[in-house]
Amino acid sequence: MSKDSKMRATINQKLTEMGERERLKELLRSKLTECGWRDQLKAHCKDVIKEKGLEHVTVEDLVVEITPKGRVLVPDSVKKELLQRIRAFLAQHAT
Amino acid sequence: MKMEDMSLSGLDNTKLEALAQDIYSDLVEDACLGLCFEVHRAVKQGYFFLDDTDQESMKDFEIVDQPGVDIFGQVYNQWKNKECVCPNCNRSIAASRFAPHLEKCLGMGRNSSRIANRRIASSNNMNNKSESDQEDNDDVNDNDWSYGSEKKAKKRKSDKNPNSPRRSKSVKHKNALLGSKPCCRSGSSMHAVER
Repeated sequence: MSKDSKMRATINQKLTEMGERERLKELLRSKLTECGWRDQLKAHCKDVIKEKGLEHVTVEDLVVEITPKGRVLVPDSVKKELLQRIRAFLAQHAT
Repeated sequence: MKMEDMSLSGLDNTKLEALAQDIYSDLVEDACLGLCFEVHRAVKQGYFFLDDTDQESMKDFEIVDQPGVDIFGQVYNQWKNKECVCPNCNRSIAASRFAPHLEKCLGMGRNSSRIANRRIASSNNMNNKSESDQEDNDDVNDNDWSYGSEKKAKKRKSDKNPNSPRRSKSVKHKNALLGSKPCCRSGSSMHAVER
């Protein structure tokens, strides 16, 4: 398995070095904002905060509550588009 | 022989797909964490709930979506069909034509002086041949100030570049004041219309 993990490390490194990771991050952010994902999650955050109390809420609280929901709420079209780009990158640079 | 190439070519599609999914997963988690940090900071700095107002105020400023009205609820073509009565000539003029009409009617504004000058020049031409042919060439191209401007229509081609700021300063300024143009107008005696 170490061959694979080496390979993965290489690809990840390439992804970062070529700036593609940054671009993908930006793309994801803007798509998620456009489709209202951010606002949805923010509203959920409000509930969490009201529950835990404004003074006492921690980053951990938010992360635990928000991340699973966030994963699920990503619209299919956005997911597809990102996966497409990732696969294209891999096809170009991994073979 | 590169170590890189050896390990990379040993990939098959399922592994590539798994890798793609992992990369995607990382990106999404990044986005989520980013949001959490933003929200947490906003909470601790006290500006998270800043844009929440009470329900009544929210209702007051809701976006309006009715025909004939803009998003604030104001009518925007209210003055299209209105007519105004001109205080000078007492005619009824359409609202959108009112301002230009007033300009001409009261004899103020750029265009009205030009038209007046043109009329004078043409009436002069009918009486006698205008001697100031040469000088008028320059004045024609002056935007603000021109007399004998009916020659504009004939567009005489001179050798001089009409746009150059330095044109020959011959006997041009018979009547006009030297210096800044905007003040010239009131000093001119060429106006046919009494103000």
